[in-house]
Amino acid sequence: MRRLAFITACALGSAAFLGGAAEAHANYVRSNPASDARLVRPPTEVRIEFSEPPDPRTSMIQVLDTAGKRYDKGEAAPSGDPNGLKVSLATLAEGGYVVAWTTTSAVDGHTTRGSFAFVVGTGPIPAPPDVGDAAPPPTAAEIAGRALSYAGIALALGTAVFVLFVRAPAVAEETRREYWLLLAAGALVFVGSVTLIIEQGPKLPPRLGAMLAVRAFAGIVIAALSAAPPLARMRPVAALAGGAGVMTLGPLAVDRPRRVIALAAGLAAALTATLVSHATALANLKSMVLDYVHVVAVSVWTGGVVALLAIVLLRASESTPEERRALGATVWRFSVTALVAVCVLVTAGTLQAFDRLVLLEDLYETPYGIALAAKIALLAAALGLGALNLLRLGPRLRAGLAARAGLVRDTIGETALFVVIIVAASFLTAFAPPAQPSAAAFDQTHHVSGLRLEMLVASAQPGRNRYVLRVHQGLAPVQGAEKVAFRFTMAEHDMGEQELVASERAPGEYAADGSPTAMFGTWRIQAIVRLTGREDVSTVFSFPVGAGTGSQSQVVTAAPYTMIVFTDPAEPQAGAPLTVFAVVIGPDGNPVTGKSLRATFTGPTAQAPIDATEDAPTLGPGRYKFSLAALDAGSWKVAIAIGSEASGTSSLEVSR
Amino acid sequence: MSRLLAAMAAIAVVVSSFAISSNIALGHERRTVGHYQFVVGFLSEPAFAGAINGIELSVTDTRANNKAVEGVEKTLGADVTSGGLQPLAITLATRFGQPGHYAGYFMPTKNGTYIFHFKGKVENTDVDEKFESGPGRFNDVQSTTDLQYPTKVPTGADLAASLADIRSSLDQLRILAIAAVALAVLVPVGFGLAMRRR
Repeated sequence: MRRLAFITACALGSAAFLGGAAEAHANYVRSNPASDARLVRPPTEVRIEFSEPPDPRTSMIQVLDTAGKRYDKGEAAPSGDPNGLKVSLATLAEGGYVVAWTTTSAVDGHTTRGSFAFVVGTGPIPAPPDVGDAAPPPTAAEIAGRALSYAGIALALGTAVFVLFVRAPAVAEETRREYWLLLAAGALVFVGSVTLIIEQGPKLPPRLGAMLAVRAFAGIVIAALSAAPPLARMRPVAALAGGAGVMTLGPLAVDRPRRVIALAAGLAAALTATLVSHATALANLKSMVLDYVHVVAVSVWTGGVVALLAIVLLRASESTPEERRALGATVWRFSVTALVAVCVLVTAGTLQAFDRLVLLEDLYETPYGIALAAKIALLAAALGLGALNLLRLGPRLRAGLAARAGLVRDTIGETALFVVIIVAASFLTAFAPPAQPSAAAFDQTHHVSGLRLEMLVASAQPGRNRYVLRVHQGLAPVQGAEKVAFRFTMAEHDMGEQELVASERAPGEYAADGSPTAMFGTWRIQAIVRLTGREDVSTVFSFPVGAGTGSQSQVVTAAPYTMIVFTDPAEPQAGAPLTVFAVVIGPDGNPVTGKSLRATFTGPTAQAPIDATEDAPTLGPGRYKFSLAALDAGSWKVAIAIGSEASGTSSLEVSR
Repeated sequence: MSRLLAAMAAIAVVVSSFAISSNIALGHERRTVGHYQFVVGFLSEPAFAGAINGIELSVTDTRANNKAVEGVEKTLGADVTSGGLQPLAITLATRFGQPGHYAGYFMPTKNGTYIFHFKGKVENTDVDEKFESGPGRFNDVQSTTDLQYPTKVPTGADLAASLADIRSSLDQLRILAIAAVALAVLVPVGFGLAMRRR
């Protein structure tokens, strides 16, 4: 019993470094209606796109008015987009509405939730409600299930690699210990997978269920392999298996094929860990490869340490110099294997960290970073112990001197460290990494005067846009700033300076809508945060605006000028006030001021020509505005004449 | 010596800017307050950090063909705020030979946004107005760093920041020194005790 407990502890410890696989979270990317949209006509459905595939069965979209009355009809259903959900709506009257959503990732079963608001008509946009944690922490059962299966994978892979490539068991007792380790590994993988399945319960996404079933089967295979040789030696069982003509346990009783199959089963189980990870959810092949390599490398090292301890060190004799030298040779071979594994592990982990961390400060300012930093510190300690074995105790053994006791002490110490690390690793997998996919076309973070300022801009096209600044101090969002303002200047041309004042739309999240970035080129966005009792905190983001797919602005040639034409709102609705902007650019690339612009509209109904107004101090130089009370639905051609010098035509779609 | 010359040159640039822009410039914000028009900005624009400057206020009566309103300095209080810091009270004074024009002197020590707050009365009208520098209003205070040549002269704010960094480093050094002294005492004592046990 004590031995079993010891092996379990070793196995748990060996899983410690498997935390590199950050788990998936289905985050809000965009929606229709968009967050904070102002609509003229009520929508008939709400569509939301997430960063990862959601499981419609366990996802929910509620649409409520400000009194809390629900308007969504039926369950959330796939929207046709692989990452999308939709829900139909009852008829909405004018007013503000809140969309509260909860979704479960089809990849790993993690639940995320959030909310946004829109308004039909001219009323105020309601504040999104507090829906609790965006990603609730995992349950104890989930952490335990994950830890157990990771421990099993590490133990299986580490043991298989050790007995195949470092040193095969030389005596029956060592073989028996190998059986015990593989039995424990298989049991851990199986129990961990089943625990995760039970923990998910009815909300278990089919894909995750399939992965966990594969992992549980791999666990059964690993455990069965350890039991096969003793069973094969039992005559009645062997006769039964052979007599049935189904299979014989004979090949499995041969050590090498059995170990290769154990290795393959361990690799398959490790693959399931990667296939339910964040990397797979994002369909990023590089991340997937790094994740898998990280998992395998850490397993080879940690599981190998446990195998070295359990199979060799605990029972090794060093009564003669020859025995010591033999033990020293084994330690050396394992040290080289572990060194390669650690190099691979550190490389893969570092490359993963580049993708998942935004700033160095993330290591102590975000939950993910803190868990990662703790893991790195413990990794360094474990490496130190490993180096001690390699540089001090190994040479002693190879010189024929006694050192087994020291080795046993150090490897037990390493295993104990792994046990501590597993806690950090389990939490690490629970937290979303700082670098999260977002709906924003531009997402950049600066660290200024102790504040973490993350600037998000919805679109990289000229025209109407949404600018969001997330302000954090340490782990906490900075709420109730006196003022958050964005100032816009262009790098290439003098487009004046414009300012938008942001309002707090969520704790620590300040948003402003407008169209200051009206021209292709590089814009400087100076974010200014004013907090009571402090000097203003300010930083400048460099935001490139360019043409791209899905652009809502049009480049119109009116030789010798070029015009950038866009509308506000970006998606005009019939019957709603509409502004058409035209930025006139001269042959030298600079904005052209002081011109008379007239727009003539051709479309489903008659519309009188409109003259533009120019307000350089407010809109910036070279920018002209056509204000319309409304247009009817349909396709319109807008011919814009620049005095009598030139003209160009753009198109406009007005929805119902 | 060269630093001194550079500092003098920088001050000369700043002082010359006073001469260039001593009148109400375009970089002032106009606002109608009751029956009065306020025009507010920096006394000297562009305004530079570390150079004496002030609030420039002119008040005219829109009912009387924008006639200058006098005596405002006796009934209207002013303060200036940088960021979210505590405001600094400013005394308004009339400007010689410019009826309806008032100045309140102070030295902005940091570049960025400043808010001028006026509270009190203009004749019988209550006033409580804030004017904030920024686009379309009046200019922010600028750093002189870009103008300095060939030697960069740190501003007071830069020096204060450097001093704060030095203080922080000194605090850390103090903690390390205390730890080192403690170790220097404890290690020999521990060693002595260990030897004594043997």
